[in-house]
Amino acid sequence: MLATVDSCVLAGLEARRVEVQADSGNGETRFFLVGMAATSVKEARERVRSAIKNSGLDFPRKRLTVNLAPAEIRKEGSGLDLPIAIAIALAEVGKRAPARSAFLGELALDGAVRHVDGVLVAARCLKRVGFDRVFVPAADASEAALIDGLEVIPCEHLAGVFAHLLGEAQITPLPFTEIAPDPTTGALEHDLAEVHGQEEARRAIEVAAAGGHHLLLSGPPGSGKTMLARCLPGILPPLELAEAFEVAQVRSLLGDLVPGRPLDWTRPFRTPHHGVSMAGLIGGGSGFAMPGEISRANHGVLFLDELAEFQAPVLQALRQPLETGRVTITRSGGAVTYPARFTLVAATNPCPCGWLGDPVRTCRCTQAVVDGYQRRLSGPLLDRIDLQVGVRRVPLVELAAEPRGEASHVVRERVLAARARQQARQECLNAQLKPSRLRHLAAMEPGAKRTLERWSEQKGLTARGFHRAWRVARTAADLEGSELIADHHVLEALGYRLHDVAA
Amino acid sequence: MTLPLDLNTLNARGRWPPPDGPRVAIVGSRRPSPYGEAVAEQLAADLARAGVVVVSGLALGCDAAAHRGALVGGGVTVAVMGTGVDIVYPAAHFRLAEEIVAAGGALVSQFPDGTSPRRRNFPARNVTLAALSDVVVVVEAVQGSGALITAEAALDLHKEVMAVPGSIFSPLSVGTHALIRDGAGLVQNARDVLAALGVGREVLDDPLGAPGRLGFRLPAERDGILIHLSDVLAVSTAELARKLHLPVAEVLSRLTSLELDGAVRRHGAGYVRALRSGKD
Repeated sequence: MLATVDSCVLAGLEARRVEVQADSGNGETRFFLVGMAATSVKEARERVRSAIKNSGLDFPRKRLTVNLAPAEIRKEGSGLDLPIAIAIALAEVGKRAPARSAFLGELALDGAVRHVDGVLVAARCLKRVGFDRVFVPAADASEAALIDGLEVIPCEHLAGVFAHLLGEAQITPLPFTEIAPDPTTGALEHDLAEVHGQEEARRAIEVAAAGGHHLLLSGPPGSGKTMLARCLPGILPPLELAEAFEVAQVRSLLGDLVPGRPLDWTRPFRTPHHGVSMAGLIGGGSGFAMPGEISRANHGVLFLDELAEFQAPVLQALRQPLETGRVTITRSGGAVTYPARFTLVAATNPCPCGWLGDPVRTCRCTQAVVDGYQRRLSGPLLDRIDLQVGVRRVPLVELAAEPRGEASHVVRERVLAARARQQARQECLNAQLKPSRLRHLAAMEPGAKRTLERWSEQKGLTARGFHRAWRVARTAADLEGSELIADHHVLEALGYRLHDVAA
Repeated sequence: MTLPLDLNTLNARGRWPPPDGPRVAIVGSRRPSPYGEAVAEQLAADLARAGVVVVSGLALGCDAAAHRGALVGGGVTVAVMGTGVDIVYPAAHFRLAEEIVAAGGALVSQFPDGTSPRRRNFPARNVTLAALSDVVVVVEAVQGSGALITAEAALDLHKEVMAVPGSIFSPLSVGTHALIRDGAGLVQNARDVLAALGVGREVLDDPLGAPGRLGFRLPAERDGILIHLSDVLAVSTAELARKLHLPVAEVLSRLTSLELDGAVRRHGAGYVRALRSGKD
């Protein structure tokens, strides 16, 4: 008898439909699995055989062929265990699978259905191609229940699923979870109220949050760079529904979702170590690439501490995602695209020993070493960081005497207002404005324009540097609630730069 | 102290020996403050105008400023190198070295051609530098700096040592202040050096005016920001904002405006007052 069951395999944030066909007939007792199955899928033969036997079902003692169609897609992962087992069991009893239903899940030898990664992504794609019902591991059912219009059958055990299909015992479907953004933000882990002094860096963080600009903090060890960076998520608005959904999908692929609470409204904050590999930061792996840190930081903050210690090729690879908010990675299985729209916050020491420019301690680095260190940071990557500020170390004894600044929730109000202005005007943040749109949307007073041109002439500003200052000036004006960019906005924007090098 | 070598056996590129006239060494930190750099350059220019041969070590910072100043003053300058005269170290000073030779000065070295930079060679070079000069002026030096080795060698060779004072808050002036305390001559302008050389005051035709004793023009006051800025130590935007009771964004935009006018400069993580020579 022949039975066909639908399932899917994941290719990045897309799922491709796979038809599992099981056919048993006369001949030697053997089990063939064909249709470009990777090793992880070939192993399904052994799991499925034991799971069927241990679920009190009959495993056909005939010549059994399971085909995974279409044959030209390479199939990976353990999610096909459940559909293979269901196809075999249905073929044995001569029944058909319900229409427009798909199955996904890994099997344990005792027949239990176990968690697989990416159920949210799979459910979204299956719904889009016309499926009405998904059978998914009970552990992942809450992910699938986020998709409206899809009946979600949580599967605990192979025997239970089969009984459900035969109409012997019903499994209650998990209802669609209505998603409502949660405006209540709990107590912040890092609040700007705890930052003493550092007024310039505080202001830079506010501008970065308001306009979505990337930020570089440079200063000696212990000057509070990490603390400042960690305050950034707290002054950003909570994720919007579409954003939270995108964040959840990347997490689903990586198996990172919190069980029972698939949607999270706080912005991601990722801090990869400077030893991170290209695959770790950008994304990679065999077959289809998996998302890297930049995609985990999507709609949130990517904090790179000790920027100069990162491998140069890894940093260079950040350029495309910084520009487009997306990353496309090609591996043997094909090309996949992941979202990577994050705010980059980078921190660096001014020199290898860290004390260059410190008022108290003397730097022991030779000029050549300092030049080499700063050269590693310069160039195309630095060119894309709109805000660059120096952070000074405040001696511990004086720290308490430094004035405390505003709390995060106060700053956040201003950030939200500035962001609302931008959305109303251009439907994106200022940092994402291309030069052609800047000309239309970011008008400067004549004096402001002259200042920018004068500076650009004097300091040899590149075209990119020119537009960078323009965008930051736009954000400074938005924070002030001003539609026209004034002279002092441009001057402030030009102040956010570290060296006198042409930038 | 005896010289380790005969000065007549020095390797040289350019005109060697230099024209007759007093020779003054101007040395100091490789990483001076904007003040130190300006002093070295201005002092060298004034001395060069008075016909003094300016001797220095072609290093970064004060040395380079001294050579540049001498060239600006239209004088002759000699670079005493710690490498062979065919190897310019640091390489960034290749053009400066060419200009020194082109202006009638010389690159000299006690080391054979092809000697690459080695740590142990530089103290010996410092002794030679002192031996070649009549007066050694130290502009800025942290404790234990190479410029102090030159000063010590000069004392051993019975040459006059002079030093430029600075801020008591600046680590870069600790070495020079120690020299002054120990009896080094105080340098406030080129005339002080010329007096030590026994050259008459009349050589310098251009009287030096106050308040920048070296002839610096202080930038015009505006906004009350400049009062709070030093020409030695960088002041951060945050500190200024606090002193002026202004929002940091406003201080930043005012500073950038002053920077655009050339009145202030970035230095480290803050700003310093920009010193401009009154003569150019």
